[in-house]
Amino acid sequence: MEKVPTICPYCGCGCGLYLHVDKGIICGVSPSRNHPVSKGSLCVKGWNCYEFIQHPDRLTKPLIRINSKEHTTSKKNPPLPPFSKGGRGGINSSLVTHNSSLFREASWDEALSYIAKKLTKIKNTSGPDSIGVLSSAKCTNEENYLMMKFARAVLGTNNIDHCARLCHSSTLGGLASTFGSGAMTNSISEIADARVIFVIGSNTTEQHPMIGMHMLDAVNRGAILMVADPRRNMIAELAHIHLKHKSGTDVALLNSIMNVIINEGLVDIAFIKRRTENFDEFEKVISKYSPDIGEAITGVSADDIRKVARMYAAETRSMLFFSMGITQHITGVDNVRACANLAMLTAHVGHAMTGLNPLRGQNNVQGSCDMGAIPEVYSGYQNVKDASARKKFEAAWGVSLPKKSGLTLIEMLNASRRNKLKAMYIMGENPVISDPDVKHTIEALKKLNFLIVQDIFMTETAKFAHVVLPAASFAEKEGTFTNTERRVQKIRKAIEPAGKAMPDWQIICELSKKMGYNMDYKAPYEVMEEIALLTPSYRGILHHRLDDGYGLQWPCTDVNHPGTQFLHRKKFARGLGSFIPVHYLPPDEQPDEKYPFILTTGRSYFQYHTGTMTRRTTTLEREQPECTVEINAEDAEQFGIKNRAKIKVSTRRGSIEAVADVTDKIIPGTIFIPFHFHEASANVLTNPALDPYAKIPEYKVCAAKVERIHEERPYIK
Amino acid sequence: MTGSNNNIYMPFKAVIEEAIDMGCNVKFFKVIPIPPHPPLSKGGRGGFIDYIPGQFFMVSQWGAGEAPISVTSTRGLQRHIEFAIKKVGAVTTVLHKLKKSDTIWLRGPYGNGFNADAAKKRDVVFIAGGIGIVPLRSLINFIQMHKKQYGKIFLLYGAKNPSEILFKEDLKAWNKKGIEITLTVDVKDESWKGNTGVVTGHLDRVKTDFKNACSYICGPDIMIEKTMKELTSRGMPDRQIITTLEARMKCGIGKCGQCYHGIEYICTNGPVYTYEEIKKRRVYGP
Amino acid sequence: MKKDLILNKNYLSYWLRQLRKEMQLIGPMRGFKGDFVFKSIGQIHEISLDCPASAPLPKEFVFPHVEEMFEKVFSEQEIKDLQNNDKRIIFGIRPCDMSAINLIDRFYSSKFESSYDLAHPNRKSEDSYYMARRRNTVFISIGCNNPDPTCFCNSVGTGPFLESGFDVQLTDLGDRYFVQTGSKAGKTITNSYRYLFEEAQRQDYDDQYEIMLSALTKFEKRINLEETRQKILAGKVRDSFWEWVSTRCFECGGCVYECPVCTCFNIVERTETDKSPRPPLRAMAFTKGGQGGIKGKRIRIWDTCFFKGFTRMAGGNIPAEKKVMRTKRWWFHKLLYYPEQFKRFGCVGCGRCTITCPGRIDIATISQKIKVEIK
Repeated sequence: MEKVPTICPYCGCGCGLYLHVDKGIICGVSPSRNHPVSKGSLCVKGWNCYEFIQHPDRLTKPLIRINSKEHTTSKKNPPLPPFSKGGRGGINSSLVTHNSSLFREASWDEALSYIAKKLTKIKNTSGPDSIGVLSSAKCTNEENYLMMKFARAVLGTNNIDHCARLCHSSTLGGLASTFGSGAMTNSISEIADARVIFVIGSNTTEQHPMIGMHMLDAVNRGAILMVADPRRNMIAELAHIHLKHKSGTDVALLNSIMNVIINEGLVDIAFIKRRTENFDEFEKVISKYSPDIGEAITGVSADDIRKVARMYAAETRSMLFFSMGITQHITGVDNVRACANLAMLTAHVGHAMTGLNPLRGQNNVQGSCDMGAIPEVYSGYQNVKDASARKKFEAAWGVSLPKKSGLTLIEMLNASRRNKLKAMYIMGENPVISDPDVKHTIEALKKLNFLIVQDIFMTETAKFAHVVLPAASFAEKEGTFTNTERRVQKIRKAIEPAGKAMPDWQIICELSKKMGYNMDYKAPYEVMEEIALLTPSYRGILHHRLDDGYGLQWPCTDVNHPGTQFLHRKKFARGLGSFIPVHYLPPDEQPDEKYPFILTTGRSYFQYHTGTMTRRTTTLEREQPECTVEINAEDAEQFGIKNRAKIKVSTRRGSIEAVADVTDKIIPGTIFIPFHFHEASANVLTNPALDPYAKIPEYKVCAAKVERIHEERPYIK
Repeated sequence: MTGSNNNIYMPFKAVIEEAIDMGCNVKFFKVIPIPPHPPLSKGGRGGFIDYIPGQFFMVSQWGAGEAPISVTSTRGLQRHIEFAIKKVGAVTTVLHKLKKSDTIWLRGPYGNGFNADAAKKRDVVFIAGGIGIVPLRSLINFIQMHKKQYGKIFLLYGAKNPSEILFKEDLKAWNKKGIEITLTVDVKDESWKGNTGVVTGHLDRVKTDFKNACSYICGPDIMIEKTMKELTSRGMPDRQIITTLEARMKCGIGKCGQCYHGIEYICTNGPVYTYEEIKKRRVYGP
Repeated sequence: MKKDLILNKNYLSYWLRQLRKEMQLIGPMRGFKGDFVFKSIGQIHEISLDCPASAPLPKEFVFPHVEEMFEKVFSEQEIKDLQNNDKRIIFGIRPCDMSAINLIDRFYSSKFESSYDLAHPNRKSEDSYYMARRRNTVFISIGCNNPDPTCFCNSVGTGPFLESGFDVQLTDLGDRYFVQTGSKAGKTITNSYRYLFEEAQRQDYDDQYEIMLSALTKFEKRINLEETRQKILAGKVRDSFWEWVSTRCFECGGCVYECPVCTCFNIVERTETDKSPRPPLRAMAFTKGGQGGIKGKRIRIWDTCFFKGFTRMAGGNIPAEKKVMRTKRWWFHKLLYYPEQFKRFGCVGCGRCTITCPGRIDIATISQKIKVEIK
């Protein structure tokens, strides 16, 4: 039995673990005792992360849709039902049914030649900007970099985006304008020594359990834990102060906290003078948000607001954490700016054990942003509109690059609906489940002339693809993941890829060769070298340096640089930190008579994202086999809903059926639905209204109604 | 087939002789076991598996998994093993799709089974709620077979509605043989002329000396709890109140730990308990 | 007179190399950056003899994460038993783990207790998979000269050295090992290479005793599980206390996965498809009645009583619905029910839950808390 050290493929914590491999079979997991994040612990998903890797559902061969017009062969040999004659051998074996659309297996050469031909044709007839590319926060840095290079250098478009658009694009946007860098400022290992921990809009103990562990350690050492969340989840139960503000009122809450800080003289004037700008204008706005006004808007008592303000401001070692609860609003960028203002106001940034810490949700969402898998920047956040940056990349890549910024994820789908976008190449993403307003997403995908999906499983999105490419999972390839604290860590190959699946980086290289651009890398470390060459913050990060350590935290500017524990030391990344005043704006949709509830969506502890991995894991699927709707007991009584009754939740966009979870963990008037379940997809309901700057949809608030269905409770698996 | 004879998890095959839909999501299966060699028990002749009322088998279908299912037949009366399976979960849903002459796989019998001796020379009161009649049917037939050793036999049987009353043929036959049967439903319809309400409300119809009678209860948790309390208040000693409990089980033989409850593995120490044992078991909580 | 042996340290690798010719050799090796892992040994000289006392868990070699039980091709009648009969030698496990394995042996080989089974004494009751692996495994344990700060085996009588219940126990006497054999299997592997060993002399016994005494002084934790048990039995530990414990539980299952004594498992089926035709697009290919599959595997997989689904019955009824009930259940099992069944605590004091529990509600911490806070 061999034990291969690697990094967990789930959340942004980036825990170290060992995959146990026996005779080519992955048979278990154990935590790494000395890893700085996990320290010998793992969460339930980490402990069970081995099971999906060799699941029988894995895609093992490239698949080409049969009813696509280009394939005349299929007309000659009409598809037969796959089970007719024993199912093995002959033509039947190569037929695959998928909800009435038919795929046939193909060789890599055929599939890639086909894609190359189609993409070239579309590029030549409709222009490069008629192609959109979605990269993946689950893939390695090297793969994201290559995907970005593929979109920009091979296809010639800046239409590249990934799911960070849906989680932390507001953080990037909000912090870029205030601090100059959109990453977590401090490190996870500092948390245990903090004195005050203020968590807003993050279910840390469930979604970043190992960060939650460090917070609990801090509490054990006497730190004060304050949580602002409309739900009373585990971290809120452990908190000393829990602010149950209404969803979508974060700006009002934060502004009134800052109002107290300013009025009570808790501001760090020296810091503001030396390190920041634009304070005066900001102060004018804040003066309008007295705690009483805050109370009226948020539902949190003015006293609690004052308490939180005093506690946060009084300690030097105060850490502020936020996550999706802040970002997934139409005011996402404003929310983030408000958080940044709060940190600057009290000098809680730029030294250890403080900072503004956005918790990233995917194992490599930080890395894929760093790698420039977003329309407006190259790797290392070098803007595509910046001529000198562009010149550098043009020189290295040997092509001329598009000057104009590209489309974001939601904009791509919208463009497709308007017939502006003809083709999409989706790597390791499942927008049908993860993007708001499923109906529109499906409509957009159906309209595409050509859709390539590259994934490890047949996802709901792959159903609409013309070509499906089988990729290797995290255990089957080399590469690096960047966790939420900017730590670039190496993952290691434990087993050979399933069937004929290939690592994503290899697929991209092969495809670009077919399209006439020679991407020639022996292994991911060569890609990393190129990344280091072109990306200042990754300059010193090379595979051989990652081999004998727990990774390096960027910025790491040369090969001897030890990595950076916390950002904005001595000065902000943009020079002076900028106070940007923000006003409270109500959510796009407010509850009304017809739709009386605020619906907020998120993740549950046992499932992960669109469930492609967790729903194929026995223990995790058993724990949360169905979609449950958290509803307050008072509301439930009013609507005659009993615990575990089947209910229907509707919004202006659609409705789903799910099981009621009557609880007192959520405030009255609000309901919560996890979005993992394709059979009851919460994103059928969500509002695709976007933040004007970051284009992040408002997942966290929409108006909904709840009805009881007179039907017996469905059985559980 | 290395070591298959020693492997306690190895199921044996059984062929479905009869599969009848009993309505309200319950399906009745009569199966002929084809036990491995040598047969599990010395007493069993070829094709027979020895079991007692109240025991259960791990019934499985390959690809779906195993589920603990109580026997409803009585050895000596029915030639085959009979199950009445309610569709409640993934395994039972798959089992419901099976037809005559299909194969299923069994392991067992497991569990302690009903202690029929406790009721010897006493009046016997059977109290069933809904699907709880299934394991009791086995015992009722057993006691009926040896009725000289027992006193009067009563059956109180409550169902959700008239259509959910199971084993109507058996009820008629038992009635003829002198078992006093009281039926009750929660929700009545036009056809129903009988009693309504919960079973505990009809205990007065059982004309017996509760202090000396013995009672076997099976049904939903709440019904069991209520009935046990009611019987105690009528003076029935705790050790004469016997019930069978339900738990999630994966192995059936006290290894997997899923049915672990208090100090007991319900699959091996149970599933049949007296009220006395249940009270003792709960000293430490769950 | 005792017949203990002495092994010159220079001969250790030769001995292990000879043993490896007969069976798989597994031992503690350096993992990534200061970690240690138990795995198949490649280079014998790379075995980490300095592996800390709270070494990673070797339980998985006798009770693996995932154990394949049966395989059945749907079109055929036969069931294939996938019992693992590989011969293994596990070097370097600690006395606490050895005691845990003895306890698991008792549990997995224990007879049924139901009245029916008492009437049928010939019924088999051994867990075939565990016992097959166990019978094919020989353990060479090493006593702990230097217990870790998390260790408290001395408080539960499972270390730092064992009196009995081992195959072979080594005690590091600096330049040589003091070798005790405690089982037939142990005697076989020493007797076959008797020429490597010398008979222990008076001096060796004295040195061994000295090492044992010095090891005992190094324990930092003094955990009295009996006192905790008495307090729980007396009803002094109230539900509000367990409520507090449970709010800190992350439901990760780590304490159970890492516990050398815990043995609960779940049995699931996996349907293997022929890759093509593929099963319909469903989230679970495991338990959907095997449509479209060609063969099914019945496997068992580690499970944890901290999960809601652990006790959930078909139909959705959950006996231990509240987290506090599940937390109590684990504690009571370890501290109350194990002593009743086996006259031993369900805890061997290895301290692994102290390391792995993200909520810091491990046995040692909570026992200490009960001791200090509850009078």
